[in-house]
Amino acid sequence: MDEGKTTKQILEEELRGRKRIPFYNPEVLQKMRGEFEQWKNTTVREADRENWYVTPHTTLGSEIPRALLFTPLDNADLDYAEDIGFSGQEPFTRGVHPNMYRGRAFTMRQLSSAGSPEYVNGRIKFLLEHGATGVNLALDLATVQMFDSDEPEARGQVGTVGVPIDCVEDMEIIFKDVPIDKLSVSIVTHYPRNTAILFPMYLIMAERRGIPWDKLPGSVQNDFIMENVVRNACEYIPPKDCFKVQCDNIEFIRKEVPLWNYVTLNGYNLREMGTSGVTEMSIALANAIGILKELTGRGYDADWVAARLAFFWSPANDFFEEVARLRAIRRLWYRIMKYRFGAQNPRSMWMRCHVQTSGVSLRREEPYNNVIRSAYHALAAVLGGAQSMHVDGFDEAYRVPSEESSLLALRTQQIIEAETQVTQVVDPLGGSFYVEALTNEIERRILDEVDEIERMGGITEAVDTGWLHRKVTDFIRHEMRMVDNDDIKIAGYNYFPAPEHELPELKLQETSVEIEDQMKAKLQRIRQQRDNEKASSCLNALTQAAKRGDNVTYYCLDAARAGATEGEMRRAFTEAYGSWRPSIFV
Amino acid sequence: MSQQDEKNIKVLLAQFPLETHSRGMFTVAHMLRDAGMEIVLLGNATPQQIISAAADEDVDVVGISNYCGGHLLLGGDIINEAKQKGIKERTAFLMGGVLPPADMPRLKELGFDAIFEPGATQEEISSCIRELTKAKG
Repeated sequence: MDEGKTTKQILEEELRGRKRIPFYNPEVLQKMRGEFEQWKNTTVREADRENWYVTPHTTLGSEIPRALLFTPLDNADLDYAEDIGFSGQEPFTRGVHPNMYRGRAFTMRQLSSAGSPEYVNGRIKFLLEHGATGVNLALDLATVQMFDSDEPEARGQVGTVGVPIDCVEDMEIIFKDVPIDKLSVSIVTHYPRNTAILFPMYLIMAERRGIPWDKLPGSVQNDFIMENVVRNACEYIPPKDCFKVQCDNIEFIRKEVPLWNYVTLNGYNLREMGTSGVTEMSIALANAIGILKELTGRGYDADWVAARLAFFWSPANDFFEEVARLRAIRRLWYRIMKYRFGAQNPRSMWMRCHVQTSGVSLRREEPYNNVIRSAYHALAAVLGGAQSMHVDGFDEAYRVPSEESSLLALRTQQIIEAETQVTQVVDPLGGSFYVEALTNEIERRILDEVDEIERMGGITEAVDTGWLHRKVTDFIRHEMRMVDNDDIKIAGYNYFPAPEHELPELKLQETSVEIEDQMKAKLQRIRQQRDNEKASSCLNALTQAAKRGDNVTYYCLDAARAGATEGEMRRAFTEAYGSWRPSIFV
Repeated sequence: MSQQDEKNIKVLLAQFPLETHSRGMFTVAHMLRDAGMEIVLLGNATPQQIISAAADEDVDVVGISNYCGGHLLLGGDIINEAKQKGIKERTAFLMGGVLPPADMPRLKELGFDAIFEPGATQEEISSCIRELTKAKG
């Protein structure tokens, strides 16, 4: 790999050097060109001819112009083996496994709801009893933001949108009687710092149950874009330090918990905050490239590093764009691993992903319309070849999904999987003139944005300078105007709005002050029972390790063992790294 | 009066300390700036910090964007704090976000002047603010 070149330059040089075998007979194409022009000029209405390309406007869309009809002429230099190939083989456009869903259905991984650790343990079991095949643990705001339940900032937020976790004991309650050695568990940690804090608590819980770490399947998020860009918070650490914690977690998990997916590069939340489907992917790729540069710089082999890297995407409204995006990113990831990082192991060239249907695309008006929207999002993800999925509740704009809407979302997945039969044939839209052309266009656009980021110095620069923050706020403003002007049409809102805005009769969850009190009492007890000197010396060691530049995750493990709480570890990090403010552009 | 209500309306936008979602707040900031209002974007802050900033900046409107619950408890804290600081009467208090319908009248009982659901338009929010600030003088 030449450090002086961008990823795009490397790929262009490599691909230019490869001999291409044309799929279409040149004579056929030549004849088709004439016939196409004739057809267009004689048979197509003038109005359609003049508006041959239409730019679709939709929530979270990429505004890629679409022709009225796609033909082989839109992909005239197609090389079947180079561009499409067979499933489970390079370039993996058609899927990472040869048999795809015939081998294993996508993991049905519904989020585990909000409430006390005891309540969430019950909800996890409820979903598993009804056929869920993985766990998706959502955390409450205090836990996500790394505050203990008894810190003043946590007031009113304990157990409201997820489960509170302050210490190892909470992990033990949440996963009581859940077979964590057989079932893939996704802990939605979001940030590098809370991954470093919470994942060791999970490991200690497993250890106490006698389950060896090398038997644990699952994933954490661990994405510094989430911590420095997507979230809003009252405190941040600088992007370069947060990126470093992200990489420390990867190094720790890759070594100590070999089956675990140590990073789930989270395009989803960034897109939902406000970016196109192209930017969602370019940012995740730029981060992945940064990770590989950092870890190979620490002396690890690119294949060893990348084998457990996973992505998380948001399938939204533009149906064919969503299918094409998954195909495009699979091929592009393969090309980056192969040509930029010299990967040999197919596993490290696999773009494996979890998806969650788009939440921002759902509406408060006539919430049952959301059932239809989410089903289309989910179908696009399956036609695109996703590995794992959460379908949103139709009550998303009202509350954390109820048991009723969670079950309906799970049933949506089961209907797609077992009733529609779309899972029997691998990559069923592969070969479509339209989908292949769109796949090419999206891959080009993602790579162009990755190039732009690399030219400004890479992903941490894109964050530190505020480039990404500005891109997001510009997108939000643009989209807001498009909705206001009715350019983006939303059924029941600005497209045939209902004359009366009736609120549905939904049973709403009550926020419970009791959970907060219980958690506070538990924290008080733990602080009394633990060896406080030991806990504070571990926290101090964490701060010192962070300052020295050592791998911090090992020190978090020691601190968690000594009974240190989440908020205490957050403060140990902040002490070492200092604070940072994102630039805000409104 | 008609001259008066065209004066720059100053709006403070904030969220509770641990709120992670910011799209709603940014969207409303764009809307109100486009409608000619002055925006103070405070972001995440405790009820005490929000009211103290509102008093220091002498704003006409305090808007809270909320997604993640706790709105009744923390909304109550905001109003109490505003009363203590003596700015409740001259300031309009708004909240918007993912709020359960049953809680909307309860927030008004607490002392919020208007509550907005997701999907509220620029026109709805800005005309409501103009009326409220006119009424509050």
